[in-house]
Amino acid sequence: MNLLTLIVLLPLAGFLLNGLLGARLGKGFVSVVGCGLPILAFLAAVRAFGELDGAAGLALVETAYTWAVVGDFSFDIAFYFDRLSALMTLIVTGVGSLIHIYSTGYMKDDPSYARYFAYLNLFLFFMLLLVLGRSLLVCFVGWEGVGLASYLLIGFWFEDPAKAAAGKKAFITNRVGDAGFLLGMFLLYHALGTLDFDAVNAAFQGPVAPAVSASLVGVLLFIGATGKSAQIPLHVWLPDAMAGPTPVSALIHAATMVTAGVYLVARLNGLYLVAPEASQLIAVVGVATAFFAATIAVVQTDIKKVLAYSTISQLGFMFLALGVGAYGVAVFHVYTHAFFKACLFLGAGSVIHALGGEQDIRRMGGLAKRIPVTFVTFAVATAAIAGLPPLAGFFSKDEILWYAFASERGGSPLLWAVASVTALLTAFYMFRLLILTFLTPSRMDHETEHHVHESPWSMTGVLVVLAVLSAIGGFFHVYLFLEPVMPLPETAHALEHLELPLIILAVVVGLAGLAAAVYVYRGGLARAERLERRFPGLHRLLSGKYYVDELYETVLGRPLHWVSDRVFLRLGDRRLIDGSLHGLASLAQRAAGRLSSVETGQLQQYLWLALMGIVAMLAWMWRHG
Amino acid sequence: MDRTQLLLGLAFALFSLGFVGVMIRRNALVMLMFMELMLNGVILSLVTFAERTATISGAVLVFLVFVVAAAEIAIAIPIVLLVARRRRTLDVGAWSELKG
Amino acid sequence: MSGPELLLWFFAAASLAGGLLMLVARHPMRVALALISTMISLAGIYALLGVHVIAVFQVLIYVGAVMVFMVYVIMLLDLRDSSFLERYGRHIVPAVVLAAVLAAALAAAAGSGRIMTAEELAMYHGPAGNSFAVQPFSAEFLQRYWLHFELTSVLLLAAVVAAIAVVRTGRRRDG
Repeated sequence: MNLLTLIVLLPLAGFLLNGLLGARLGKGFVSVVGCGLPILAFLAAVRAFGELDGAAGLALVETAYTWAVVGDFSFDIAFYFDRLSALMTLIVTGVGSLIHIYSTGYMKDDPSYARYFAYLNLFLFFMLLLVLGRSLLVCFVGWEGVGLASYLLIGFWFEDPAKAAAGKKAFITNRVGDAGFLLGMFLLYHALGTLDFDAVNAAFQGPVAPAVSASLVGVLLFIGATGKSAQIPLHVWLPDAMAGPTPVSALIHAATMVTAGVYLVARLNGLYLVAPEASQLIAVVGVATAFFAATIAVVQTDIKKVLAYSTISQLGFMFLALGVGAYGVAVFHVYTHAFFKACLFLGAGSVIHALGGEQDIRRMGGLAKRIPVTFVTFAVATAAIAGLPPLAGFFSKDEILWYAFASERGGSPLLWAVASVTALLTAFYMFRLLILTFLTPSRMDHETEHHVHESPWSMTGVLVVLAVLSAIGGFFHVYLFLEPVMPLPETAHALEHLELPLIILAVVVGLAGLAAAVYVYRGGLARAERLERRFPGLHRLLSGKYYVDELYETVLGRPLHWVSDRVFLRLGDRRLIDGSLHGLASLAQRAAGRLSSVETGQLQQYLWLALMGIVAMLAWMWRHG
Repeated sequence: MDRTQLLLGLAFALFSLGFVGVMIRRNALVMLMFMELMLNGVILSLVTFAERTATISGAVLVFLVFVVAAAEIAIAIPIVLLVARRRRTLDVGAWSELKG
Repeated sequence: MSGPELLLWFFAAASLAGGLLMLVARHPMRVALALISTMISLAGIYALLGVHVIAVFQVLIYVGAVMVFMVYVIMLLDLRDSSFLERYGRHIVPAVVLAAVLAAALAAAAGSGRIMTAEELAMYHGPAGNSFAVQPFSAEFLQRYWLHFELTSVLLLAAVVAAIAVVRTGRRRDG
């Protein structure tokens, strides 16, 4: 069987096996199938990667199935494996397998164990379709599919209506973005007659400009990306998505699904290179989202919500890189972010597990000595995200800042400045999280404190692996590896001498954030609470997440509800449809009532009518011969 | 007017008289009698034609009609009797259970 | 006008008069008597036509059985109810109008000559040698139509059974 098709189908097999048989065959079977198949997919991906390098850098293409033939064009389910897809596939299957193994420990006591692994495998299947798809169509199938899997997994504990509502919110917000994606797809097909990525890139990079505005398509596809990757204005679902199990948050909402938008833009770099307006928009939205989310993260009190806003912020960084033309650098950040964010989320999961369900950091503290493995791995990942050298985050974030400053394709000092402030805030709130959770004196209540215990090796082992990757992963310069596919932008010659000072400045910023966090939060919440009392308005604004949800509710939610209730339900459904049906029925009834007055029960009247018929018949027969 | 036309005209007149009588008289038994009158009109026309064309089958048919008329009256009168006993009246206008 | 023809006219008028009397008589008994007179006039017409068998049967069966039964029932149910006081029903005017239409239509049909064209009329001159006399008629009748004759007895049997069933059910319901 073809290698790429195998990679995609292995998780699907896992979904079917666990979904149909898992509940009956027990947790052992589910764990082996649920973790084993992704691991096999990872090994297959490694094998394909080996073949790729040997094939002189050309991409592997496999057509699995011809779905439809319309005119000259055939819509195939085809897979395309070049350096970018190789990297994404390895991240998805690699980090995915690790998180599956973690889940065996975390979800051990959950009654719906089989359903969880089935959904998780389903997600992997769709994600692989997304990153391996050769055409926008297959990618879109994967895109929708991961949205579905995300909905199923966020609302995994659906008996709680709030959790189910969070799942619904994620799906609907994604759908809004998907409208943009679809429109972009339609325009591309109409202009080019094909949806294959390589053909699209070649068309836009070729000598003849296609008959559609690259910026328009770029913006439409980016709208889809904002939905999936939680950028402004469609970011509202990601914090609510923390209602799902923590490994789900790690896999889907940190390492893989939310990077789909980044992947899409990077994959279509041929188009975005000739769409400067769209790229500018992407850069601005990216940096604005990064700053915006970082400010909210500073005041969050739920450990997972801090990480959620952190994810939104880091995604903003990736879009900033994409917007200034440094596609390879953005993918580099995807790669490093997968490691440290997954480590952070899984570490948070370990903390929640240790505390028996507590998620509020105001009620934590002093855990460093009691769950040491979790603490050390969490600390390494925190340092990585803050950009401290020589950990992975330093390399990727630094490249982003440099290209934001100096890229010929849209870099500007303003973008760099906002990004740097955001980096400062990132360091600050991440170290705040670390300190409040682990290092300050304990604020736990006695019951919880008694039961604090380190997580089993299925969980801590994965944490260790991810922490090591966060530490050394940055040494593999992905953006250089991807250069043949995505060339790096030119940097302004005049500014090149500023590269080293900017690096040093970035490190200083990271350490400054660390220092500020230590200063404010050492010893507990007292100093923070004093600050809060001094700036009550600001604190309220940030705690209320800038009231975006409330704004959407007022501007969109309530009018929609009003229209649905007044116009569609009362007027349309009840009065028009039901009314016309009832009207028809009552019309029939009334007509029947009037007509039945012909039947008086009077025998002689019936006779008269019969005679009338006879006379008429006679007349007719007479006239017609 | 020759004989055939006279007799046919008489037959049609008796038939029409019978029909009008069924429609306008109220008493059920009287209605039955008018129906017999209609039947007699028909028999007259049958006999006229049979005699005219000298076909015996016409006369045989008349004979059969007599039998049927007798059988019919044998059933119709008991029915009317029973209904009249029920409703205590022979007025057809009062028998309107089929209304509506 | 010869004797037979005069008699024919006389009987025709008598039967018509009987019919009209039926319409206006109040007591059902008088209606029955008018009908009997009509029937006997008709029997006379049949006899004048030469169809003696039918004439006899008319008097025997129709007058002798049917009308006797009718008279018996009228005397049995001597009800002086609303149908006695009010002879005519509600639909008298439209009924009369429509019946007049019917009569006109029928008369036109009779007089138009379509029922029997002149050529066909010329073909027939009356019974060939009085084939409707009793003996030849009955011989032919029972030779060719004996099955129909037997079936009529079955019909009469069915009528008798039905009459008994009707009366008995009625009695059970009333008793």
